Amino acid sequence: MRVEIVLRYIGMVLIFNAVFLFISFLLALFLSEPTDIPLLYSTLIALIFGLLPIIYVQQTSYISILEGITIVVFGWITTCLVGALPYILWGGEFSIINAWFESVSGFTTTGSTILTDIEVLPKSLIFWRSSTHWIGGIGIILFTLLILPKSNTSKLTLLNTEMSKLAKADFKYRAREILRILLYVYLGLTLLETVFLTIAGMSFFDAINHSFATIATGGFSTKNISVAYFNSIPIEVIIMIFMVLSGLHFGLIFNTILGKSNNIFRSSVTRAFLIFLVVGITLVSLKLYYNGTYTWWTSVRYAAFQVISVGTTTGFATADSVGWPGFAQLILIYFTIQCAMAGSTSGGLKFDRVWIFFKAIVKHIKMIQHPRAIIMLKVGGKAIDEDIEKDTMVFIIFYLFIIFITTLLLSFLNVDLMTAFSGSVTTIGNVGPGFGEVGSMSNFSSLPDLGKFILSINMLLGRLEIFGIISLFFIKSWR
Amino acid sequence: MKIKFKILSGFTLIILMLVIAGFMSIYEFSRLSKSVTTLIDDNYKTIEASKTMLEALDREDSGILLLISGNWKKGREILDSADSSFIAAFQIAKNNITETDEDKYIDLIDKSYLEFKGRWEPPIVGTVKEHSIDWYFTDLHEYFLAAKNDIQALMTLNQASMHQESNDLKEKARRAIMPGIVAMIASLLFLVMFNFFISRYYVKPIVDIISSLKRHTTQTQSFDAGIVTNDEFKELEKEIQSLIYRIKKTYQS
Repeated sequence: MRVEIVLRYIGMVLIFNAVFLFISFLLALFLSEPTDIPLLYSTLIALIFGLLPIIYVQQTSYISILEGITIVVFGWITTCLVGALPYILWGGEFSIINAWFESVSGFTTTGSTILTDIEVLPKSLIFWRSSTHWIGGIGIILFTLLILPKSNTSKLTLLNTEMSKLAKADFKYRAREILRILLYVYLGLTLLETVFLTIAGMSFFDAINHSFATIATGGFSTKNISVAYFNSIPIEVIIMIFMVLSGLHFGLIFNTILGKSNNIFRSSVTRAFLIFLVVGITLVSLKLYYNGTYTWWTSVRYAAFQVISVGTTTGFATADSVGWPGFAQLILIYFTIQCAMAGSTSGGLKFDRVWIFFKAIVKHIKMIQHPRAIIMLKVGGKAIDEDIEKDTMVFIIFYLFIIFITTLLLSFLNVDLMTAFSGSVTTIGNVGPGFGEVGSMSNFSSLPDLGKFILSINMLLGRLEIFGIISLFFIKSWR
Repeated sequence: MKIKFKILSGFTLIILMLVIAGFMSIYEFSRLSKSVTTLIDDNYKTIEASKTMLEALDREDSGILLLISGNWKKGREILDSADSSFIAAFQIAKNNITETDEDKYIDLIDKSYLEFKGRWEPPIVGTVKEHSIDWYFTDLHEYFLAAKNDIQALMTLNQASMHQESNDLKEKARRAIMPGIVAMIASLLFLVMFNFFISRYYVKPIVDIISSLKRHTTQTQSFDAGIVTNDEFKELEKEIQSLIYRIKKTYQS
């Protein structure tokens, strides 16, 4: 493996971060906030570490798989470290572990926070916090690749590492075009949501921050009680629409805009995903209404927002779901595990895998009925390769196993079972809020430091689809 | 890129990082020092003035009691001296408004003190008020308490602010130290990286050229150091190859 090549690409990722850190610094300067110095120094550190390898290492047109995986994994880790710098330099509630947790949560678009009071933070730091979502949403590596000269071999290797097989299935373009599509959709959605939220009555600052968090399916809000602060139906509706859009495959959104046949309306997986959301909303609304928790419309309003927020791995909140009936909580936990679609900005298990899993169950039942029959697993009329089916099953089992191990570790640290379990599920799924002490209106500050570190690793595992990290450290043969 | 530029840029970057960290720490420490001055100048001064006002009020109270008991001379003497020290302290507080709404507190003190003063300024000795404990408790004392409460409120406001400022100082001190710590760790990492590049791009090419030359002279293999960088080492490799070629040519002819 050529370490210098890995360093060069990580350097590019750092320079990209430096740009956003510098924007935050300019904001601090404009608003005369005391965060100017921490943000400026973080910018310089990112820039200095990014520039050195670029000065020394020449551009390459070929990147091996091992180099690709190393760039992606260490790119994320380095980014999270640099992202924690402004928090560490600022202090306040940010101890070193808290700063790391907040940074990882931001970049992995999880949205879990350790902050008990967000509103006391200077606006420039809040902006940086939201920026981490936006940068992480599309994957820093993809962003950096866009500004590289045309070197399709290296781009393709990194793209293969960064994007799951399932996500690529709906992209019928070359690497460069995939990147372009992702960027167009990402920028377009962010811009649109900012405009709509501003029209709906949010301040421009809140609107842009919430747009960053929505499109990246993150969940960091500028307010302590999240979107509930605004108590506005138009704002909630706008955020819900954009949460759903951000949870869909970006390639399909792009095709829909261009009027191509392979679009959202013809995709059976998208249809199934949306049906699942509707069923979830209906069940939670009914339970909330019949339990007397809220009136019928309030039940629908809160249930719709919470289910969509969790189901798309965004993590915003308009109500405290910790006090909801057990049935409603279980439905939300199901959506926390299920996550959104492959090809979106969400992390975690992904709905496509869950859909293949359900189809595989049906296939196996049919095979029990007709042992000699040759039954193909089909999604959207297309036969799914046995390898993908097997990979999906292994992934799901491994995913659940990691949840179990993390829950076990947190329980060992005397975290109560509900907090430990929902904390594990929500972090590996890059969702954000859980239940117990880490509910939709509370935060992760009460967890022990080691627990926060374990959960931050969970977030990275969820973002990199587990096998990215695992393969880097455990696969011996790469040739 | 030229070797000189690469080495210079490496050193420049690390110097930049350390110098900026130094400046940051100096800047944060100067902010810290400014906060300490503010703490002393703004809040402590008003707290001291409030204490003087309270003391003056107590002395005025004693003076009034002396007047009630019929001791005109001593009573008036105490009242005049206490009044002038009250006014002096009040002026200090009035000219040192640093907190939000502090001016309102000052106005309240001004009003309540004038009301209190209005009660004891007219003659007491030789009037119905002399020896009248009832007058003292029913009429005068509540104005005394009101003025005292207003001064105490001003003092509490400044004490709370002082407490907050002291807490902030702890945070500011941490903020001043952190760039230094970060710079130390970052410098170490940077040096590891710089060392890697030095050995990869300067030491290794030299070693490669030497071993290639050795192979060429001992095993008569062709000279190829495999330099990939586009710098002076590549030029050196080319020059050595050309030198070898010319020597061979001269030798053959």
